[in-house]
Amino acid sequence: MTCAQQPVPGRRWQKVLYERQPFPDNYVDQRFLEELRKNVHARQYRYQAVVFQSGAVVQQLCSVCVFVLTWWYMDAGMLSPQGLFGAALVSSLLGYVLFDAVDGGAGRWASGRTRWADLKSTLVFAAFTYGFSPVLKTLTESISTDTIYAMSALMLLGHLIFFDYGANAAIVSSTLSLNMAIFASVCLASRLPRALHAFVMVTFAMQIFALWPMLQKKLKAQTPRCYVGVTVLFALAALAGLATVSSVGAVLFASLLLAISCLCPYCLIRLQLLKDNIHGPWDEAEIKEDLSRFLM
Amino acid sequence: MPDLGWSDGLCLSVYHHQRPFQDWEKGFTGKLQASLEFPSNSADHQEPPECAYGCWLSLMSLLKWLGLVFLNMPSSPLWWLWSAQIFLVFTHHPQVEFLCLLAGVCPCRVTAMVLKVFFPSCCSSADSGILIGRWISEQNSVVILAVVHFPFIPVQVKQYLGEVQRVTKVSVSVLGSWSNSKQEKEESLSEFLEDLGTIFCHEPWIQISKEGDSKFWSCSILQKHSKNPQEEEIILVYYDQRKVMLSHLHPPLDTAGQRAEDASKLSAIFGTVARSQVLFMTDRYNEGPIKLTHWQSDGVEASIIVELLKQASVPACMLLTFLLSLLSGICRSRVLKFWPLSFLWSKLSTCEQLGHRLQHLQVISSSKKAQNQNQLMRKANIFVSLLIDVVLGILLMSWLYRKNRIGHLADTLVPVADHVAEELQDLLQWLMGAPAGLKMNRALDQVLGRFFLYHIHLWISYIHLLSPFIEMILWYVGLSACLGLTVALCILSDIIALLTFHIYCFYVYGARLYCLKIYGLSSLWRLFRGKKWNVLRQRVDSCSYDLDQLFIGTLLFTILLFLLPTTALYYLVFTLLRLLVVIVQGLIHLLVDLIDSLPLYSLILRLCRSYRLAAGVKFRVLEQQDGKPLRLLMQINPLSYRGVVQTYRLPTYSCYPRDSWASLCKKLFLGELIYPWKHKGDKQN
Repeated sequence: MTCAQQPVPGRRWQKVLYERQPFPDNYVDQRFLEELRKNVHARQYRYQAVVFQSGAVVQQLCSVCVFVLTWWYMDAGMLSPQGLFGAALVSSLLGYVLFDAVDGGAGRWASGRTRWADLKSTLVFAAFTYGFSPVLKTLTESISTDTIYAMSALMLLGHLIFFDYGANAAIVSSTLSLNMAIFASVCLASRLPRALHAFVMVTFAMQIFALWPMLQKKLKAQTPRCYVGVTVLFALAALAGLATVSSVGAVLFASLLLAISCLCPYCLIRLQLLKDNIHGPWDEAEIKEDLSRFLM
Repeated sequence: MPDLGWSDGLCLSVYHHQRPFQDWEKGFTGKLQASLEFPSNSADHQEPPECAYGCWLSLMSLLKWLGLVFLNMPSSPLWWLWSAQIFLVFTHHPQVEFLCLLAGVCPCRVTAMVLKVFFPSCCSSADSGILIGRWISEQNSVVILAVVHFPFIPVQVKQYLGEVQRVTKVSVSVLGSWSNSKQEKEESLSEFLEDLGTIFCHEPWIQISKEGDSKFWSCSILQKHSKNPQEEEIILVYYDQRKVMLSHLHPPLDTAGQRAEDASKLSAIFGTVARSQVLFMTDRYNEGPIKLTHWQSDGVEASIIVELLKQASVPACMLLTFLLSLLSGICRSRVLKFWPLSFLWSKLSTCEQLGHRLQHLQVISSSKKAQNQNQLMRKANIFVSLLIDVVLGILLMSWLYRKNRIGHLADTLVPVADHVAEELQDLLQWLMGAPAGLKMNRALDQVLGRFFLYHIHLWISYIHLLSPFIEMILWYVGLSACLGLTVALCILSDIIALLTFHIYCFYVYGARLYCLKIYGLSSLWRLFRGKKWNVLRQRVDSCSYDLDQLFIGTLLFTILLFLLPTTALYYLVFTLLRLLVVIVQGLIHLLVDLIDSLPLYSLILRLCRSYRLAAGVKFRVLEQQDGKPLRLLMQINPLSYRGVVQTYRLPTYSCYPRDSWASLCKKLFLGELIYPWKHKGDKQN
């Protein structure tokens, strides 16, 4: 090691392990930091794009809000099940037509799904829900209403957390999110006065939690302008509905929507400037606390 | 028993089965369980060692106790070695030196060969003569079987020995001389005895002489051909010939692999004595050319009744065998093998028990001779257990059929069944309300409750339909008690099973429903999370479901989840009822198994003739004198009762499943049916 203390001028240092070199083990020369890179994967966001993308969250929040509002109206007797069923039917037929019209049938052709399969699925939904609606009606009779509310709230929150907003994360599970929404809708439907109410409520939940996001996704991909309009309209409708029940709630909800669609993107872009991420040809040092030392 | 003049001396037990002592040249290396007790009245030991010994004893017992309780130490021979060495530091007592000699601790004392002479204690008062027996060279020991008295003709003795050797397959030979002089020692006799050694050439030639009433015998060994005649130490071991002959050493060494080792084991001595049984069976009044002294059996005359029984048993056994073959032929006939019947037979414990007893009878009546001690004991155990079973059964029957007890029983049976049904109805009414404040699904609760109530109604009408015939049925069924108490108990168990059939039905309905829910919920929970069970890889995989699948799955999941508590409560209540019935039946079967499997003959033998089942031997040091050979008394350690039961336990058919508690709990939780009888599939496990 004595010769390794002062580098031999004739030889250059190489970053290899298979040769014996006259340098200490931790020796590096000045070329080492030449390969340093900063913020390689950091992306530059534009404010408008972020606001546009946050539309998915706003939409889902509004969906939950609309669903709860509908249930509220039905529980209070302000909305007849027949009326809701008719409205839902009309809107889903419209949506169905729109779904194929937006991309000119390209998506349907790609998935290979026939109209007969759609009809079958619809029939299965309707038959099962109608058949089970008396059971659903009496299902939670003996369980306390507060328990049901707590469970539904929890499930809807879970639905919002696990929903697929387009991000590629491990927590996203559209199946779990949809199942939680159905569970919540069944719980809430069992509180309604009659079996027909329960049936209509579950059907509506299916439409708003399963079919509506599919249409939204297609709209977002094909006609972004239209999507923004629909989102704004939907949010305004939800706010208006909420205002009839509780004005404080409406204000709070409006501020929440604004925060999500305007404030959060702004924060993201501001914080993005502070990002300082270095990359280089080295292994990152992991500091592992030797806990066993303290346990002794 | 002749007076050998022992006082309680050093007591050593050698457990044959725990550690075979193979190397007798160095003494016993077996586990020595020494309760160190020295005679306090011995004349020849000094005062100080006794004092030291007292301290030592208390210390020793304390250490031993500590070792036993905390460290479990005494199982290691090192422990004893160590304790013996410590003892040597304390004192130099001759008997302690003996202990060390036996334990092989002090090798300087063991340079000379130790010759062990096993002497039958019944011969200690015999007249002078020559000793015959077997020389076991591997152990350097001599087993003396008998004393041949003067006068005799050497040729006749040799002839006689040859004959004995041929019959018994034991190499019996003349080993030495025995002189029992009442008066002073005669010079001429001792010379004559030495001369005998030249006639019957045996190496070594042992001379034992007893003088007057002296307790201490003098022994000497003559080795004429040996190059370096060395001082041999002799240990005289007295044994009871009759007990050693009759005793059976445990564990039995029948396997061929152990035969080579046999010679160096204690069993060689036991085997020698047991095999020369023919020698002792000669009649007392049968005057032959040779006069012998040994343990004398009473001869054939004494056991004339036994002989008569033996003769009579042969035709009886043949008749029994014929009847049994006829019976088993009927049982095996094809008519009884059709599906519903065979199913019924396998579920009725009475049939199982009868089949078991039939096998027992076949074993007893088989004309094949028992090959070894174990089979003999098995036969005897089966016979005694059968006998006691039948006697108990007949006692039960005589009690039952007196004073019209059957009628009373039948009269109480129907009200009891009614009462049980009423109790069940009350229970169901309670469950249909809000049991214990639990909130159950009202609609499902009502449906289940009404279903079960209707079932009870059916059951009661069935019982009332049957009630006129119950007394008659009981009367005929009671007759079967003469086949044995176990059969009667099995019938009782079957009757309980039949009378609680409604409880069983409830249990099955409840369990099936609960099982369905549990399995449904577990698979739907996977669907709820977007996973599925991969059968090929035996793991949970993620899976993308269709929308309608998801919807229906979640709908069912919700419904099942909210209905689970109701079903679980019904299941719990009926399972508890079912368990109660199963426990009662299990207790009855435990009793039956106890009667079936208890080796009663062996236990009686252990109680009355404890030497017959030997687990090992212990040696007791008799009084000691300087210059005379060490004298030990060999006593037989009987087998413990637990050992007897373990060795001779009869196999039973076990008709109840041997589930572990964990698997039972798992089954109960998952709602799988638990049966009191064994599945066909479970037998492989």
